[in-house]
Amino acid sequence: MHMADALVSPAVGVTMAAVSVGAIAYSVVKMKKEEDFDEKKVPLMAVSGAFVFAAQMINFTIPGTGSSGHIGGGILLSALLGPYPALLTISAVLLIQCLFFADGGLLALGCNIFNMGVLPCLFAYPLIFRPIAGNMLSNGRIMAASVAAAVIGLQAGAFGVVLETSASNVTALPFGTFVLLMQPIHLAIGTVEGIVTGMVLVFVRSMRPEILKSSSEKKSLGGVSIKKTIIVFSAAALIMAGIFSIFASSFPDGLEWAMEKTAGTAELANNGAFKDVAGSLQGQTAFMPDYDSGAAGIVGGLITIALTGIAGTIIYLVKRKRTCKA
Amino acid sequence: MQGLTKATYGFHRLDSLARGNTTIHKMDPMTKTITTLIYVVIVVSFDRYDLSGLMPFVFYPVILMVLSETPLKPLLTRMAIALPFCIFAGAANLIFDKETAFFIGSTSVSFGMISFFSIILKTILTVTAVLILAATTPMAQISKQFVRLKVPSLIVLLFSMIYRYINTALEETIGMYTAYRLRAPGEKAVKMKDMGAFTGQLFLRSADRSERIYAAMKCRGFSGDYDHIRSGIVPAGEWLYIFILTASLLVLRFFNVSIFIGGALS
Repeated sequence: MHMADALVSPAVGVTMAAVSVGAIAYSVVKMKKEEDFDEKKVPLMAVSGAFVFAAQMINFTIPGTGSSGHIGGGILLSALLGPYPALLTISAVLLIQCLFFADGGLLALGCNIFNMGVLPCLFAYPLIFRPIAGNMLSNGRIMAASVAAAVIGLQAGAFGVVLETSASNVTALPFGTFVLLMQPIHLAIGTVEGIVTGMVLVFVRSMRPEILKSSSEKKSLGGVSIKKTIIVFSAAALIMAGIFSIFASSFPDGLEWAMEKTAGTAELANNGAFKDVAGSLQGQTAFMPDYDSGAAGIVGGLITIALTGIAGTIIYLVKRKRTCKA
Repeated sequence: MQGLTKATYGFHRLDSLARGNTTIHKMDPMTKTITTLIYVVIVVSFDRYDLSGLMPFVFYPVILMVLSETPLKPLLTRMAIALPFCIFAGAANLIFDKETAFFIGSTSVSFGMISFFSIILKTILTVTAVLILAATTPMAQISKQFVRLKVPSLIVLLFSMIYRYINTALEETIGMYTAYRLRAPGEKAVKMKDMGAFTGQLFLRSADRSERIYAAMKCRGFSGDYDHIRSGIVPAGEWLYIFILTASLLVLRFFNVSIFIGGALS
């Protein structure tokens, strides 16, 4: 579910980055405020981050389907460490995956942290998992809570992917079709992930009950603070939406300026009748006022790529010559 | 389970690449981070039908790769991770956007094909840009940038510690998986019913390790804070590099070189 940079527009990427940075800052403050926060938790969080990274790579066979799955870890970490440390840990893991494994983009990092960290840790966990699991004293409740929270967390995350991709305007996939493709697949994935998460928690409870006890006794997510969380996030979202709309409304001007520079025409885009008929084709006509220049552009583009390749080879040869001489 | 071995190998590989000694490696990490971000933002700001405008942006990763002596193969293997979902999103354009945009010779090119290739090209460009940053900047330097940016020390510490222990966690998992395979011959992957014990055990081992790490850190005087590295400043010459690069990227963003060259030829 990691989104690549190519799927987000700058406006969506920056907005989501701001929201995620807000959530991370909030979690840091909340964690430091917790009375029982001890520095001992830092190595545990770090090692758990490495654990989640490795755990995501364990493929397991799903009975009866012949396919295999892997876990995401948001709910699992929240239950093991508490929601705020879990969000920080997941965020750090996502940053590492982005930088070193090309798993998720740099500009899309805010989207990914929101979809896979903020939604499961700060929403699905406190609102779904905790009320169902209670004090995590019964295995049945742990299983039910894990499945419910993983399913809802993943549904929300998948919907986030759809919203962010659609808002970025990179795919021609109609919104409804996109939702219909994403949600059912992630319903199945979420159920499987929930079952595995529950099994891991049940195992940890049977071996070391004190680990789960310490994370479930935290009162940091009492009713009031959940409300506060939602209020803070809604406010942040509204402010961001405001900034986003200002940015979005000023951006077309930039594009129009660009198309005038490159194509010499901006009129086609302003042709009302054409707009009505062609709807989404509006942007395309602007960039390709006549089809010849479209083809010429592609041919020209291929030539630039070839020229770049030649330039690269020359630099490479010159460099090699120099190192040989030295 | 190939992924585990590959990830371990990939980690070592990028680590050793980052220890190179080229012009790009010597550059201030902040310069590289700023230019990478600017590049990524400008690349993704292109409209999905503006493929020709996007094509000249290939110059940045190519020149950087040559200058930093980064080999192509590790970049390509990582690209394979990012591409599938982008191909999925792009393939939809092929299906839903069939209107003919123009002809190259006698072949018709649809708008969907243009946007499909522009998503793929955007993926290639952004992924290589970020990977080149990672392949030319050692991890310690990246953490240093966070300190410079006033990121809370808790997060910096977490980030660098996770990085350090990923290898250990991967090796632990590979060991456990090998043991599992020996006990369950003929299984392609871990059975779902064993996942609770398998992953749970992995977590407990990790938790035990963190106790030992904490004890070791305490012995060395750890007080909960990160050892703040003195933050340097970006040298003046590199600000010039950032400025010139940004200016050229902006020129390319608003002046379509491809149409210019293609037009000049025809």
